[in-house]
Amino acid sequence: MKKHLTLDPIIRRLVASTRPICRYLLLSAALSLILIACAVAAPKLLGAQVDKLYAYDGAAGLAASLTPGLLILGGIYAAQSAARYANSYLLNHAVSRYYSADLRIRISEKLARLPISYLDKTPAGDILDRMQEDVSTMGSTVHTIVEVLITGFLQLLIISLFLFFTDWRLALVVVLLAPASMLLSGRLATLGEKHWQTLFEQGGELYAVTEECYTNFAVTKAFNQEAAMQQRYDALNTAHQKTSARANFLSSIVQPAIVFVDALAYIAIALLGGWLILCRGMAVGTVVTVILYVRQFSSPLERIAFTFGELQQTKAAAKRVFDLLDLPEEPQGKAVPAGPVRGEVRFSHVDFSYTPDKPLIRDLDLTIRPGQNVAIVGPTGAGKTTIVNLLMRFYDPDAGSILIDGEDVAALSRASVRGMFGMVLQDTWLFRGTVAENVAYGKPEATREEIIRACDRVYCDHFIRTLPQGYDTVISEDSTALSAGQKQLLTIARALLADRQLLILDEATSNVDTRTEIYIQKAMDKLMKGRTCFVIAHRLSTIMGADRILVVRDGQIVGFGTHRELLDKGGFYHTLYYSQYEIR
Amino acid sequence: MRNLLHYLSPHRWRILAATLLMAVSAVCELLLPNLMSQVLDKGLYGAAEADTLPVILALGWRMLVLALVSLAAVLLGYRLVFQVTSGFTRSLRSDLFAKVHTMTFEELGRIGVSNLVTRSTHDVGNLNWIVSMFCGSALIIPLMFLGGVVMCLRKDTGLSLIILVMVPLVFGGVLLLSRKITGLWELSDDYCDKQNALVRERIRGIRVIRAFDREQSAHEGITRATRIMADNIIRANVSMSLIDPAITLLLNTAALLVVYVGGVRLERGSGLTAGDVFAVLQYLAIILSALVSASFSIVMLPHARVAARRLDQVLQAESTADAIPFEGLRFSGGITLEDVSFCYPGSEQPAVSHVSVQIRPGDKISIIGGTGAGKSTLAAMLLAYYTPTQGRILFDGRDAKTISRKDVRANISAAPQKSQVYSGTLERNLRMGRPDATQAELLQALDIAQLSEFVDEHGLDYKLEQSGANLSGGQKQRLAIARAILKQAPIYLFDDSFSALDFLTEAKLRNLLGEKIAGCTQIVITQRVVSAMRADCILVMDRGRLIDAGRHEELLARCPLYREIYDSQTGGVHG
Repeated sequence: MKKHLTLDPIIRRLVASTRPICRYLLLSAALSLILIACAVAAPKLLGAQVDKLYAYDGAAGLAASLTPGLLILGGIYAAQSAARYANSYLLNHAVSRYYSADLRIRISEKLARLPISYLDKTPAGDILDRMQEDVSTMGSTVHTIVEVLITGFLQLLIISLFLFFTDWRLALVVVLLAPASMLLSGRLATLGEKHWQTLFEQGGELYAVTEECYTNFAVTKAFNQEAAMQQRYDALNTAHQKTSARANFLSSIVQPAIVFVDALAYIAIALLGGWLILCRGMAVGTVVTVILYVRQFSSPLERIAFTFGELQQTKAAAKRVFDLLDLPEEPQGKAVPAGPVRGEVRFSHVDFSYTPDKPLIRDLDLTIRPGQNVAIVGPTGAGKTTIVNLLMRFYDPDAGSILIDGEDVAALSRASVRGMFGMVLQDTWLFRGTVAENVAYGKPEATREEIIRACDRVYCDHFIRTLPQGYDTVISEDSTALSAGQKQLLTIARALLADRQLLILDEATSNVDTRTEIYIQKAMDKLMKGRTCFVIAHRLSTIMGADRILVVRDGQIVGFGTHRELLDKGGFYHTLYYSQYEIR
Repeated sequence: MRNLLHYLSPHRWRILAATLLMAVSAVCELLLPNLMSQVLDKGLYGAAEADTLPVILALGWRMLVLALVSLAAVLLGYRLVFQVTSGFTRSLRSDLFAKVHTMTFEELGRIGVSNLVTRSTHDVGNLNWIVSMFCGSALIIPLMFLGGVVMCLRKDTGLSLIILVMVPLVFGGVLLLSRKITGLWELSDDYCDKQNALVRERIRGIRVIRAFDREQSAHEGITRATRIMADNIIRANVSMSLIDPAITLLLNTAALLVVYVGGVRLERGSGLTAGDVFAVLQYLAIILSALVSASFSIVMLPHARVAARRLDQVLQAESTADAIPFEGLRFSGGITLEDVSFCYPGSEQPAVSHVSVQIRPGDKISIIGGTGAGKSTLAAMLLAYYTPTQGRILFDGRDAKTISRKDVRANISAAPQKSQVYSGTLERNLRMGRPDATQAELLQALDIAQLSEFVDEHGLDYKLEQSGANLSGGQKQRLAIARAILKQAPIYLFDDSFSALDFLTEAKLRNLLGEKIAGCTQIVITQRVVSAMRADCILVMDRGRLIDAGRHEELLARCPLYREIYDSQTGGVHG
């Protein structure tokens, strides 16, 4: 078991990760020594007092003779309880504050440096799971490792030394049976591990089906699928039930098995002790002492065995956390001091693909002059957002380069490149904070006057003033105080206040009522004035008002020019443009 | 709580057997030290040298038998316990799942989907754990406790009094503490949720955060929340860890008092023996371990109560009453709305007010309007998700209330607003409406929905992830459309089904669709003028009311709202 422990790299790293709280753990181990001393001394002292009762011969002063011993015992008991509470206080603070919280903060730090490509393909729930559940599991294991493993092993060590001093032959029986019971429980734990793994998987599936069916309630009803769903759920549920009974049962064997091995130790000692007394003339008291301490030997063993079982589950959690922390990060380029940006953008022979086997953009080569307004059009899924991803350096080209004002952006830090852009996405993002904070997101140092001015220019001021606390009203993603259109307007105000020379706009397709839509349109027009703009366009008026149109199809750039030029050329844009009048 | 107990009643004999087996094992474990002292007493102190060894051996055998019996009893006991627990959980889960599907939409909306998911998973898990704990060990705790107390009383009333005074003290303390701990746990859960929400918000907004270079402040916010969360977890844990040392200290003090009082009474010669004192001390140890286990159960009980209450709420929720289904009922496609109004529960404003429309079989209808116009509520009433609070809906002249919901839905091919798909293969999703559709029909539906290319590339057995995470919004929408086409009901209802499609794709799709379902009633709900303008009749809705109805040209000429929408979306350009 011990060997297995040191060989496992995840466990080794888990142990290494406790370095920052090493001092607390050592302090806790010191407290444990007090606990062990109490645990060893108390029964002996109590036994001595009870012996006095047994030895009572009718003489006076029995109660008086008991007093000092009982008072000392009282002190020991008080010390024992105090030390236990202190130890748990210490460990809780050390682990929750300086271990689990620090790990979570490290994950948060890591989030800031992870490439967007990773975050795009990983569900938020998965990251949250690692940050919450898995770190919790690790924390509680570190907690028990100290409490159980360190204290337990110390206790075992001290008691075995004590036993060896008392009688080495009896001690040998006890000490030799200990590894046997540990091996047994270790074996049982690994036996159960497989079933636990299955159980977790089945539990996850059950969760997924529950969530999906509840979410899809309306569709299930529309297609009269209730019975089919129930059937699907029950099949999973029954499988889960079987595994659950099996896995739990296998885990529950461990403790009784150890108790049984303990009983064997008892019997062996009784037999060997009897023989030693009879044939070797050993004192009876020696056997009694050994028996008393065997009890103290078995309880830490049980707990250690239990902890090893738990460790198997922790390994999986720790691996997921370490995997996240080990992910490759976005390389950081050199930061440039913010100077005036003219806003010329050049794609020079850019190749790009999300997955190597599916090339998307090949040899894209075009120049956009400062102040030009480019509409990106094309069917859904054609790769319109890819251009945005490249411009903002959310993704990097596989070959070729993107130049802003003649400078290759690959040489700059991502932050400096992004600092040149303002961005309004269709998928509005507001964080939990006041309206003013949300608007000033791109310019945190903005004064209240600047914020109000920006809001006023893009038609936000009037509805903000109708909110209960005006600009200080706390809003969030799912706040119902604002309509979808109003949220959109706030993000436009945000971009206007940030005042960047380059602009990326993603036009909303739906979910906005007609009147607000007109405001949004006007607000966008104001925002775009004098800036180099890339607009993912859905509405005809935007497309036709653009200086240049970039036509995307299947990830390829199939056209670049003005509306007239593209129409005259025929081809895909022509088809696309006229298709809207053909819906029957 | 009581309603959930009947889930245990089929298992009552198993629970009883498990408890007995656990008790047998506990008794065996208590007897083992007894035999040990007999080894010492008889074998070593008492017997003559010649027959000592056989006596010890005989006792050794008896100990081995006891150990084996104990092992067997406890294993069998655990087996039963986990059979009971997993069986309890399975039937509870299954019933919950079934119950949710008979809920009304109002009830579902009131409790909330994510809340229901938590209840069906997390709360059920909590109960599972608590039931396994109670069946496994908690039931023998009172046995051990009472047994210990009775044995004490039989030995000596005076000494027992010391213990009996301690017990209410311990229970009182634990109860007080458990109340405080429950509060602390709730608080700590709250802060966990808050931190969680922050992280989720950050991951969702990652592009905006990076665009404005605000990673640092996002990180700082999470750091602060994490620290607060840690403080609250610590507070709850530390209060929890007070229980065990406190009880131990109290009972250890009781032990000292027992020894001291025993000594005093021994001196006075009250007939008490040293053996009695020793015995009481041993029983005290049993009572102690029972109390410690019981106190943890007491702390857990509020959790169980909360979970049970939440589940009970679901199980007691109102179910929909329904008319008797009529196998094979087929509509011809005529729909009449007579002064239909609907008001969501708790809302003052009606979502739909006084709408009257006559739709003939084979009509092509579009409903246009902004958010909050009442379009989707109208669709929900057609699909019998809601019953009008006023007025009535008639299918082929027959009041919808007299037709079973199942039959209504069987007659509508719907692609709902949120294009929800299920994990599993693409084919399985498609066939939901008509499991017996032929391969040719399947391929035709895919072709109409502009999904052929996708299927050619990925195959019909393409595995969809949960909520179709591996499909784009447009692909999901087209899949939902294909699913509706394959169902081939006399009425087609598309609720905002083309919003994620570009004009070209929509044009191709709608043209093929028009051919396929010609002669069927077709209702298209949309916010896009171009999706609506070719209909036989366009219904213009605003704030729950039907503003106007007519053909595109008529509306353009007379309906200001329609013209406003048209101009804003097309820039007034005509093709």
